[in-house]
Amino acid sequence: MSTVRLTAKPSPATGRRIVGLEKRHSLTGWAFLTPAAVLIAVMSFYPMIQSFILSLHTGRGTVLHWASPIWYNYARLFQDQTFKLTIQNTFIYLVIQVPIMLIMALILATILNDKTLRFKGLWRTAIFLPCAVSLVSYSMVFRTLFATNGAINDALMGLHLIDSPINWLAQTGTARMVIILGLLWRWTGYNMVFYLAALQTIDYSTFEAARIDGANTVQTFFHVTVPQLRPMILLTAIMSTNGTLQLFDESWNLTQGGPANTSMTMSHYLYQLSFQSNPNIGYGSAVSYAILIMVAILAAIQMKVGDKRD
Amino acid sequence: MTRKLRRAVMYAVLVIASLLSVFPLYFMIVSATNTSAQVLGARLLPGLQLLTNLHALMAQQDLLAALWHSSLNAVSTTVLALIVCAVAGYGFEVYHSRGKDAVMNILLLTMMIPFAATMIPLFRMFSEAGLANSTLAVILPAISTPFLILLFRQSARSFPHEILDAARIDGLGELTIFVRMFIPTMRSTFAAAAVITFMGAWNNFLWPRVILISNSQQTITMLISNFRAGYVIDYGVLMLAVLVASLPTMIIFLILQRSFANGITGAVQ
Amino acid sequence: MKPLTKIAVITVAAALSLTLGACSSNSGSTTTSSSSAGSGNHLTVWAWDPTFNIYAMNEAQKIYAAAHPGFTLDVQEVSWDDIQTKLTTIAQANQLDQLPDIFLVQNNAFQKNVTSYPQLFADMSNAGIDYTQYPKAVVDYSVVDNKNWGLPFDNGAVIAAYRTDVLQQAGYTLADFTDINWSDFLTKAKDVLAKTGKPLLSGQANSSDMMMMMLQSSGASLFDAQGKPAIVGNQALLNTINVYKQMVQAKVYTEVNSWDEYVASFVNGDVAGVINGCWILGSIQTAKDQSGKWDLTDMPALDGVPGATNYSANGGSSWAISASSKNFALAADFLKSTFAGSTQLYDTILPSSGALANWIPAAKSDVYGQPQPFFNNDKIYAKIVDYASKVPSNNTSPYYYEARDAISAAVTQILGGTDETKALQQAQQTVEFAMQ
Repeated sequence: MSTVRLTAKPSPATGRRIVGLEKRHSLTGWAFLTPAAVLIAVMSFYPMIQSFILSLHTGRGTVLHWASPIWYNYARLFQDQTFKLTIQNTFIYLVIQVPIMLIMALILATILNDKTLRFKGLWRTAIFLPCAVSLVSYSMVFRTLFATNGAINDALMGLHLIDSPINWLAQTGTARMVIILGLLWRWTGYNMVFYLAALQTIDYSTFEAARIDGANTVQTFFHVTVPQLRPMILLTAIMSTNGTLQLFDESWNLTQGGPANTSMTMSHYLYQLSFQSNPNIGYGSAVSYAILIMVAILAAIQMKVGDKRD
Repeated sequence: MTRKLRRAVMYAVLVIASLLSVFPLYFMIVSATNTSAQVLGARLLPGLQLLTNLHALMAQQDLLAALWHSSLNAVSTTVLALIVCAVAGYGFEVYHSRGKDAVMNILLLTMMIPFAATMIPLFRMFSEAGLANSTLAVILPAISTPFLILLFRQSARSFPHEILDAARIDGLGELTIFVRMFIPTMRSTFAAAAVITFMGAWNNFLWPRVILISNSQQTITMLISNFRAGYVIDYGVLMLAVLVASLPTMIIFLILQRSFANGITGAVQ
Repeated sequence: MKPLTKIAVITVAAALSLTLGACSSNSGSTTTSSSSAGSGNHLTVWAWDPTFNIYAMNEAQKIYAAAHPGFTLDVQEVSWDDIQTKLTTIAQANQLDQLPDIFLVQNNAFQKNVTSYPQLFADMSNAGIDYTQYPKAVVDYSVVDNKNWGLPFDNGAVIAAYRTDVLQQAGYTLADFTDINWSDFLTKAKDVLAKTGKPLLSGQANSSDMMMMMLQSSGASLFDAQGKPAIVGNQALLNTINVYKQMVQAKVYTEVNSWDEYVASFVNGDVAGVINGCWILGSIQTAKDQSGKWDLTDMPALDGVPGATNYSANGGSSWAISASSKNFALAADFLKSTFAGSTQLYDTILPSSGALANWIPAAKSDVYGQPQPFFNNDKIYAKIVDYASKVPSNNTSPYYYEARDAISAAVTQILGGTDETKALQQAQQTVEFAMQ
């Protein structure tokens, strides 16, 4: 901006100096962003290319050679029942957890944005606090709570809701449910903070005006809050989708992917392929590219949907 | 009448949400003071086992070393990430040009790259460079993130250009302006970025698990995860370890929470 | 490609280490590896069971230190899964100095690791160990290309231990559970459950340990002689799964989620029996209040399978010395003088942990003939030696663990209602897929 203003009316006398200054500023700018750009290039783009090259290789352990045909690993993906299962698991988490979480976060943020609300800081802190706990830690807490002889079963039996302990982590449905509950617990507050921040940039009188016009709470929510927050909803949706497709810690620590791999996530499978048993790094790289493509496609769809409603 | 009902519903939702949020944390804290049997028996009152559990934890695991490794990783990642990303975000906004915007867009693309897609080559890269097991290998991939750069770029938008111009006329160098003018005005953005980065680095699990082969380098998250692999788990001790691992991030959040919220708000404006 | 990588990483690393050095004066310490090979009179070891192999290692240290003053040992508890992952990553990252001097390897995984990562293992053929003092079948687990890469530790002969007081309550004696078939076991177990409310067995839901023991007891395997997966159309496997299914459905077999829950199930007295490798005796004996109430016998045999026996093995492991160890001579001499040369060691570890010697001279020990108070004053170790000699051999494969995982996944599905044939076909495909 400032450079534009400076160059707007160059006087003949200072023109050369200003052009020189502008050039210097531009160079300073490049210098400012070089460390970050180089780091991203070396730590993300270069490995991404490497990963693609690796995905064209086969072999076990440390002995790798070019695959023949060259797309062998990619063709193999389509026959991989376990990979299909982990895709299914991950998408179940995605489809159930992300919408519930974002809606809950929106509702909580809307409530917390109410000017007449008391103890705002208390509620916000309480709801956000789970985010301070690491994924590994909360996985362990949930594992303990949902153990066969653990607190949840004791409580349910104490309330006579069930007769015998439920083996939560050993049944497909309940194991997935525990992971989804964990994700909701851990991330709802995080997204809420983003919505709250966005809500605070909206003129509060907009909400009051809607109310004066006779809109009830629900109508205000759908016709005023949601449209105003659309960019932020889009951002959180993309972030959550991206995060869900990369789930690892919960699958690894909470359920160990069981029972029968029915709660295993794609990243967990990738780790298993690459670093456990008979490592197949080439094939693992192909799996990682498949994940990359899924993330990219979903992000593109979300952006498209997010834009269209404008 | 409906107004009262509305308020009642509002508070009811908040109370339930807060209780659900806090309960597992409360369970974790209380369990750290109980025996393994009491933890499984869902005892929800504080017990007298805290010191016993602490002794057992210190005896079984190298807790201090793990805390030290986690702190080292998290603090160096946070400091470096704040410097690198703040400088870049500032650079993109203050000196923006079409070329730089194009670079920014390319960098933003990496937000789409799942870590899984770069993990294997990163592992091979660091191994070949002889850096497996090093702190450097743990922190390098986490320093420059498009998210942080974006955060700083957005907040640099609200940095008044009058100040910039005035400072330039006063003859201050570009770096001096950044350090003396930008950093102090953007405190809350730095706080938000610090909270996000520190939590991310402290809680990171997959990458340290891959690159830190030696047990003597293990972080606190790895230590906790390894409890699962043990033969007999003492749940009281485990919950104490989980509590110890969570305290630093909780404290940092509680201290910086106001600035954190302001920082995020500032960035989305 | 490789030099480029190196240059890129090192440049970035160098630039950043300057900054890093500024904000943390201690960053230098992180690059010095400390867990790896000890020096002088000190050895580092990885093993996984504090009541069994770690305990045995520490006892061995005491014996060796008596003759070699100042000898110390650092035994680190690393689960087998973690040891396997570490071996893999260490080999790939070429970080051999991260290995301890000695590490324990599951017998079923020994061949695979030596073949895939020969650079990790030290050749022990000329370490002065007399391998003829071990049964050939046991030594063979760690022989590749006619060289010895490991020293057999335990053989994991399967025992069936029962709470005799619970059996008595239901009107049975140990004899009623000796030399029986699974169909017989099932009838009696149901009766015991009805009369006492206690299931006889428990196990981890996601583990195929129990089924692998049943399979091996009839000499069957998940692989054919050519090493191809033999899951579909494997009669012994079908019978095994059928028995397992019936046991779970009749609730005489409790499925739990984790190892600690499994151990707790019999230590707490919720379950009145254990069928597992004899190394489980160490865990059973942690229930001091149950002393005298336990006794043991052989496991049930599969019905209608040719070659079915009452004997099997689970687990079994061998010690390996890492190729990178700077103390090869010390490590080899330590193993030779203790695990392959000290009856005193086996006399100590056998009664307290069930570490059944593969080392033949130890079998002459008096301990084998001594009645064990915890086990109803039965001479259990003489029994176990007898069982061990009758175990049918196991046809292992580099893909043994993939096959096991596929079977446990299939059985979980079958218990959940999936068609048996379909689940097993899928398991076969999964293993074949992994082997491609």
